[in-house]
Amino acid sequence: MRDVYIIGIGITTFTRLEYPLSEIAAYASMGALKDAGVTDVDYVLVANMGSARINNQSALASAVVDTLSLTPAGAVRIENGPASGASAIKEGFMAVASGMHDTVLVVGAERMREVNNLEATDFVATLTHPMAEYIYGVTLPGHAAMFTRLYMEKYGVTERHLAMVGVKNQNNAMLNKDAHLHQKITMDGILDSPEAFTNNPWVAEPIRFFDCCPVSDGGAALILASKEVAEASGKPMIRITGIGQATDTLAVHERPEPTDLMAVRIAAQRAYEMAGITAADIDVAELHDAFTILEIAESEEVGFFEKGTGHLALERGETAIDGKMPINPSGGLKGKGHPVGATGVAQVHEIVVQLRGDAGERQVKDARTGLACNFGGFGNNVVVSTYARED
Amino acid sequence: MAVDLEKILRPVDHPYPPYPAKYMTLASGETLVIRQATRDEVPTLLKHVAPLVFVERDYYDLVAARVYAELLGWYHHRMQDEYVLVAQIDGELAAIVNGRSVSPKRGMSLHTLAMRRGLRVGAHAFAAKMEYHIDILGQDEVLVVAESPIGFRRWMIEYQLEEVFDTAHELGGVPSYSLTRELFDRARNSLVVGRRPVPEDLLAKAHEAILPPSDPPTPPADLLAATRAKYDATGSALILQRWAQDRSAEDA
Amino acid sequence: MEREVNAYKCRKCGTLHYPFRMVCKNCRANDYFEFDIEPLPKRGKLLTFTFIHNLPAQFEVARLGLGIVELENGIRVTGQVDIEDPTLGMDVVGNVEVVRHDTYDDRYGFVFRAA
Repeated sequence: MRDVYIIGIGITTFTRLEYPLSEIAAYASMGALKDAGVTDVDYVLVANMGSARINNQSALASAVVDTLSLTPAGAVRIENGPASGASAIKEGFMAVASGMHDTVLVVGAERMREVNNLEATDFVATLTHPMAEYIYGVTLPGHAAMFTRLYMEKYGVTERHLAMVGVKNQNNAMLNKDAHLHQKITMDGILDSPEAFTNNPWVAEPIRFFDCCPVSDGGAALILASKEVAEASGKPMIRITGIGQATDTLAVHERPEPTDLMAVRIAAQRAYEMAGITAADIDVAELHDAFTILEIAESEEVGFFEKGTGHLALERGETAIDGKMPINPSGGLKGKGHPVGATGVAQVHEIVVQLRGDAGERQVKDARTGLACNFGGFGNNVVVSTYARED
Repeated sequence: MAVDLEKILRPVDHPYPPYPAKYMTLASGETLVIRQATRDEVPTLLKHVAPLVFVERDYYDLVAARVYAELLGWYHHRMQDEYVLVAQIDGELAAIVNGRSVSPKRGMSLHTLAMRRGLRVGAHAFAAKMEYHIDILGQDEVLVVAESPIGFRRWMIEYQLEEVFDTAHELGGVPSYSLTRELFDRARNSLVVGRRPVPEDLLAKAHEAILPPSDPPTPPADLLAATRAKYDATGSALILQRWAQDRSAEDA
Repeated sequence: MEREVNAYKCRKCGTLHYPFRMVCKNCRANDYFEFDIEPLPKRGKLLTFTFIHNLPAQFEVARLGLGIVELENGIRVTGQVDIEDPTLGMDVVGNVEVVRHDTYDDRYGFVFRAA
């Protein structure tokens, strides 16, 4: 297998974008092409979850490759729920590693705000089991809530821990110009003042409004390249060291231990094995905090902390930008936003920014290795990948 | 005998009790003061509402245009029994809500216009408006409609408003929803908050001046992009957009 | 007629599945449709629950109770929870009712109440 490097990155601001979806994807791609200093690629992968349903546009990859005038390069749309982004990176990795292509554009984009929030919630809920979950009105916040309740019962996680994740990530996002939420929040405002629970109402008990990521539009893009192309580009040499993917039952209730995110654990193990490293070797991580509980749970399953102790590490400030194991310096999904198809790519965008040392005020000191966890479904399709700077 | 036409055109306002100001902590940790605006403050409010007429998202254009007209109507005495509440953060205008009394027993909610987003400022201001009708004015119900999906979710679903579709609302003549005293009592604990009395320095700051919103909603960055996104093959939406674009260029 | 929610029993090894799958999870028997239909029991224990306040548009209610229940035979199901103040581990009994209106059709599933 050939080594694969990331030589270009691009991103749109995550917010509500009043552009056609293909232009959102193209804008992010143009940034990545420019950053890499290339005008041509062999292959284009477009990660997206909902174009056919919420934007009334199918075969999105054909539109994106055409908008960018990259024809006749091959182009494929990857739809793998919220893990579409990292899944596309994995396909791009394999395309370069196999020797089939030398330069691959991976772009993730989503335009969810074209429909109202109720429709967006319903659209995301369609990834649940159609007969055993969806019909009952199960939503992703609903899954997260049932999971949170068990986690609280079993490990002593409290509402305060959840709020701490939200405050940390939303305040990290203040330092990220591309983040969706540029709104400071305080523990007083969302948990302690007499008005806190009206400011921060239930979404699905026991999780509240500020425990959930916003619904965003946005795009992010990467240029993957072989070693020869990467060296010629003169960009920092950031290598994809490992990628692991794992699945779990579609219906959450079928899992033997409902607080266990088996697919995260196995995907991480596979990535570490491929990279020849352990969790202790990671300097900075982007985890999939669509709900605050997920940052805590994933930080345990990928091996940063013992199972059931993630919230204690959070309390000690270990996951802050200047902590021992910085998590979500970009703001995470919670602060940066969650355009579903773009998220997995945007996480890696942040890792590259960090490893290049270009993160400005949110820079993790001396970051040389990074990890991204892109969590699809409610833990039923997960991709974990690791990165290292080699120059 | 000379006819005093103005006397005929000008409605007589009934003496309704004023809204007692209140304050609350927002998610950001900032303090929001909600108080009743005076007629003298209308020109200042108009100045801050006007730019929103050209914000073509989330129905800001429609709501701002109607609020502008309602403020003028109040200012020039062309609207009966109207009131306006303002929500301020450190003096800065964060939201305007208004409504009127149809009768001593029935209120009519007009608009909720939020200038700060993501902090439930609009929701707090709407709740204050309902509190005014039910608790202060002692009315039995308030008629409400929504012009945007966001409003529909906030009011109709969060408060579970009753349908009173045989009654047309003054906004657009569309079928009304109603917030009854019973529904308000049910929502009271979860949705209606605020502390009284407002500390003097906070209140003084609010009354001193209505400062312009620091981060108001702005029009889409590229007006034509919104048009392209709507598959406007005939170009009629394009004409509207161009006109808006030329206008904002003139203003600048 | 009392409605049922069905589980699927592998004809080869007897493993019960809910929801339906085409290959047995246990023995991976690959003979097409080698499953017997077996109605699920209605009684069980509530493993976890939530009240959702932010629902898809078809649900015209302010909040909806949902939970995961472990039934008497050990099979777990997701269902709606119509209990004012539920507690973890409480005994519940399910009834099969309309749980969602889907444009022209009604969808049936478990609604759990306190036993």
